[in-house]
Amino acid sequence: MLCRELYEIQEKYGYIPEKEMKDLARRNNVPLYEVYGVATFYPGYRVTPPPKAQINICRDFPCHLRGAVKLRDKIEEMVREVGGEGVVVGGVSCLGQCDGAPAVQINDASYARKSEKEILALVQEAIAGKKLHEQHFEPMAKGPFKSDPYEGGEKYGALKALGQSKDYDGIIKKLKEAGLRGMGGAGFPTGVKWDGVRNCKSDEKYIVCNADEAEVATFKDREIMKSLPHLVVEGMAIAGLVTGATQGYIYIRHEYHDQIHSMNEEIKRAREAGILGANCAGSGQRYDMEVFMSPGGYVQGEESALLEAIEGKRGQPRVKPPFPVFVGLYGKPTVINNVETLAYVAPILIKGMDWWKAQGKNGCVGLKWIGVSGHVKKPGVFEVPMGTTYREAIFDLCGGMLGDKPIKAFAPSGPSGGFLPASMLDLPMDFQKMSEAGSMLGSGAIVAIAEGNDMVELALNATQFYRNESCGKCVPCRVGSQKMVDVIYRVMEGKGKKDDYETITRLSDTMLMTSICGLGQVVAAPIDSVVKHFKPELDAKIKG
Amino acid sequence: MNAEQVTLKIDGRDVTVAKGVTIWEAAQQLGINIPVLCHKPSLNPVGVCRVCVVDVGARVYAASCVRPAENGMNVQTTSERLERDRKTLVEMLLADHPAPCEKHKQTHTCELELLAEKFQILQPLPKGQPVPEPRYWSPTFLSRGQDLKNALLPEDLSPRRAQKGTDFSNPSIAIDHRACILCDRCVRACTEVKHNNVIGRMGKGYSASISFDTNMPMGTSSCVNCGECMISCPTGAITSKQEVGVQLETGEKLTVEQMLEIPIFQGISSEFLKRNEGCVVKRKYKKGEIVCREGEFGSTAFYILNGKADVFINTPMAHVKSDKGASGGFFSRFKHFLVGKKDDPREEGARKFIPIDAPVDLAMDNPIAQILPEELFGEMTCLTFQPRSATVRAAEDCEMLEMLRSVLQVLQKNKKFREQLEANYRERALGQHLRSVPIFGGIDDPKFVDQLKQRVELVHFDPGQAIIREGAEGDAFYLIRVGCVKVSKNLPGGDLVLSYLTRGEFFGEMALLDRSPRTATVSALDHVEIVKIRKTDFDFMLDWFEDLRPKIEAEAKKRKEMTERMTRLAPSTSLDDFLAQGLMHAQSLLLLDLERCVRCDECVRACADAHDGVTRLVREGLRFDKYLVATSCRSCMDPLCMVGCPVGSIRRKESLEVIIEDWCIGCGLCAQQCPYGNINMHHFQVQGEDPEHAGVKKAVQKQKATLCDLCTDLKEPSCVYACPHDAAHRVNARDFFTELTTQQQ
Repeated sequence: MLCRELYEIQEKYGYIPEKEMKDLARRNNVPLYEVYGVATFYPGYRVTPPPKAQINICRDFPCHLRGAVKLRDKIEEMVREVGGEGVVVGGVSCLGQCDGAPAVQINDASYARKSEKEILALVQEAIAGKKLHEQHFEPMAKGPFKSDPYEGGEKYGALKALGQSKDYDGIIKKLKEAGLRGMGGAGFPTGVKWDGVRNCKSDEKYIVCNADEAEVATFKDREIMKSLPHLVVEGMAIAGLVTGATQGYIYIRHEYHDQIHSMNEEIKRAREAGILGANCAGSGQRYDMEVFMSPGGYVQGEESALLEAIEGKRGQPRVKPPFPVFVGLYGKPTVINNVETLAYVAPILIKGMDWWKAQGKNGCVGLKWIGVSGHVKKPGVFEVPMGTTYREAIFDLCGGMLGDKPIKAFAPSGPSGGFLPASMLDLPMDFQKMSEAGSMLGSGAIVAIAEGNDMVELALNATQFYRNESCGKCVPCRVGSQKMVDVIYRVMEGKGKKDDYETITRLSDTMLMTSICGLGQVVAAPIDSVVKHFKPELDAKIKG
Repeated sequence: MNAEQVTLKIDGRDVTVAKGVTIWEAAQQLGINIPVLCHKPSLNPVGVCRVCVVDVGARVYAASCVRPAENGMNVQTTSERLERDRKTLVEMLLADHPAPCEKHKQTHTCELELLAEKFQILQPLPKGQPVPEPRYWSPTFLSRGQDLKNALLPEDLSPRRAQKGTDFSNPSIAIDHRACILCDRCVRACTEVKHNNVIGRMGKGYSASISFDTNMPMGTSSCVNCGECMISCPTGAITSKQEVGVQLETGEKLTVEQMLEIPIFQGISSEFLKRNEGCVVKRKYKKGEIVCREGEFGSTAFYILNGKADVFINTPMAHVKSDKGASGGFFSRFKHFLVGKKDDPREEGARKFIPIDAPVDLAMDNPIAQILPEELFGEMTCLTFQPRSATVRAAEDCEMLEMLRSVLQVLQKNKKFREQLEANYRERALGQHLRSVPIFGGIDDPKFVDQLKQRVELVHFDPGQAIIREGAEGDAFYLIRVGCVKVSKNLPGGDLVLSYLTRGEFFGEMALLDRSPRTATVSALDHVEIVKIRKTDFDFMLDWFEDLRPKIEAEAKKRKEMTERMTRLAPSTSLDDFLAQGLMHAQSLLLLDLERCVRCDECVRACADAHDGVTRLVREGLRFDKYLVATSCRSCMDPLCMVGCPVGSIRRKESLEVIIEDWCIGCGLCAQQCPYGNINMHHFQVQGEDPEHAGVKKAVQKQKATLCDLCTDLKEPSCVYACPHDAAHRVNARDFFTELTTQQQ
């Protein structure tokens, strides 16, 4: 695996020297340009020696709302004052620590949930060239969890039962009936996906768990992997047995050091207990799995881009169809599910479909893990009934708005669902209803925004995130995201023109209809929502 | 219906195609041309430009170039919305595209700009006329304000394509990253069509770009110049370097078909040859006709198809000598005349051959030789615009190809051509070449050459490429076949150039003799062809030929001492400026004490008086403390004058002083290159052989280069003698500065 080898080289040298790339190309029999293309594609790799200290401040909007800009200024000032030679201060895309905002990354480790004073002390140590103690993050969500059928008791009950019964068709039927849908954002019915792979004839099939979780404001899988890793392993193993796949990969973003550790430990335990391996849970079928550490980048969360990364290529989404169900990892049929989706499989099988259906409210089915950040008193991760309203999440679960300021807007799904006005807070977390409202349930990444914030500025911030994270494969996303940033930037500078509305609409339409993947299709969501719900703010800037 | 076929509707019309055929191809069958930029029928489709999107009734559009046709599909290739989205895509690309790009300027065939004209984003304009800016937005990378940085944290995402700009490092292909639309056509052409595996994408998102190997300049990458990328590029991002107008005006122009009939052109892409039509011509020469003259400037190389040619040097073998006039006294005019080595022997080493820009070298005592069919000459003139090193005259009726650089470089990358030239070289010239190395000169044993001929490796280096590196283990001995190399040593004050070596000279012996690491770095200055003798063969040679070892050891000792002397000089002072100016190496520096100098210019006049009225001294230059270092030959640290001498007649003596050897052909290149203007050209009327009429003598005007000669025939340089104020001094730089810095401390 090219990506893994590149990591090993980087571990050894601190970066990837050219000579090693040449050797790697020769060893793997791939062109040198390809190795170089991969090494320069992912933010997790360096092709030049690292600076003495690299301090990155999260630049995305949950941290932006909680003073990231001020913090960055202070850090830059501090580095200037001590004349920190060889110290580089920069920005970084969302680290998945929005509940501890603002988050910083120092020499590839994340730090959050800290006061400004604490962060500055760490920076000082880093500037002095000291090795920092890595921060380990305690789980934010406290159990017991409704979705854990074992509650500390013996695990893997659903898998073991399946190993005996081998009623694979029954599992698919149950999942379809329970109405389990993909929790990563797209909401595709899980049973249908598994059925597709099960029906494919192939010498090899794969199960891939998407734990890349790099969308701004999304950090719920972080908690599931930390608190309930066994449910993820079990869900994947069940998928393996049902579909006939023998190998699984759990693709975790490289910033999640704790989660990589907890999943590796769980896999080890399961293997030792005979749950994974040549005779998976006594089924007589082989199924094993391993952690794949992502070399970085939001676009890797796009399922086909993720597969490209595992295959050691530049992580650019594939043109679909064909879909991964039929042509997936290494061209083989592949199930790709989100962490949360897979974690629900065992509880549904053990507690039953009726239990699952009863978990929802306001006419919805099942549970949902959500992460709430932004201007709330107690940000965090929660397991809630599907159909819970955004008002309940922000005011009941998180204790309301910071400083009891009025709420102006909220983002129901990071930047991808756009910004909605406070008047829409009573919308339930429901795939259908959110879609009808012109937004999306998405990954349950809720960000509360207090009165007094500039929505155009937030839209620019969100658009910049997409621009920064675009893989660059297709024209609409690569160029369009930059042009969209330009237009909003111009408006922010007060140089907006009347026909900028048309420019925004045209860019938005074209990106939506012609982009290869979902990233390009949602680039315009934040600014579109501002045009739709907060147009006076835009008008004020363009007129003024 | 056949199971292997599918039937679909495109724009309301039914079409049946084989399974696997794309919508784009199916539409073609109906005569519907869907516009596209990234697709080319000869390449596998990738669907990245998205211009070819069509409506298949799904949530979003599908790229028709890559989407297979399906049974029952209902495809719309055009609608108001589709046209608008296509137009927006073209506009986006155009915003970052330097319209008109090189391709559009030259041939009006940039596919992006043609599409823009079709969509009426750009008005079709007469060739060369400026194009108005795109309607919606202007190129981003032109301005990126810093003022909002803190409020918004806009990422400084470097638009790498804009930064990278152009890359002209490849001899025949020009890269303009700004015109690139990242269609990946070149990537596919390079890897899928030609299997050369050089071009890829690097970076990510808006800052992604194409790159060669590990983002090397194209010219130093592993590119083999097949030209496939250039042919596949839709825009002016990859174009032929052949500029309009630099065609050969005379001679018989060859068509692509005619070129392909000549063995040396076989295997080269015909598209590439087509672009070079007019850059290679066939010429016929009658017996006795002159092909080229020494000292002339030129830009072409010749390849002999049939017939033989004589190559010779027509300038007298002599150097310029000054002597005081009959009347005596220092201010009388000096006479300058040419003296040969018989009358005025100078240190010349054991050189027997003059290296020239042809497969043969000329013997010092009889500088004439023959060039045979299938041989190439004028290579260095063509590649680096050196003056012609010798005169070539048809010895019988000849046919030759005359070519410009673009063609020669394509040929040089052609394996077949290289192999042929190398075989010729081994067969005809290597032996003589080996013998022309002074240290091998005395070995007459034919076995010596036979032994080596088949064992040596012939290697090519591009400009700037290191051949050996200081500190590395010595594994071979090198002899220069073509081109010029720089020998330098890394010192605390920077790189010190020890010398420049050219054809016929050798290096790498020291590390082989005493098994020590390499003492200096040798890198190619231009296109260098090297004869590499591996360590094992070198050792074998030393064992086999007993005379050789003492000779090589003596030469190695000499070079070692010289290196040591030069490196001792350098670090003794930290006067960076002086080092940079090369003053530390002046053996005899003219210093003017500014506290005493009254600016009377007597020194300048004295120099002029002593040298035919032309001064070799200017009272200007670098100041250090109270001294002015006047301009005269400084025997620089990096003697640029030596670079490119077509016959290698300007060189550094062991005493470090720069000297011009007798076989100077008077081309004047060194005089042009001396940054201090310290080399002068002297004209002489001599009786010479009329090159056009063999055997006939006539008076011809010849020139030779001279340097400050330190008035060596006088007790003291005339400038110093002339100074009435005792302000002018000739000093040894090292002693002088050492003393000065000691005083200062």
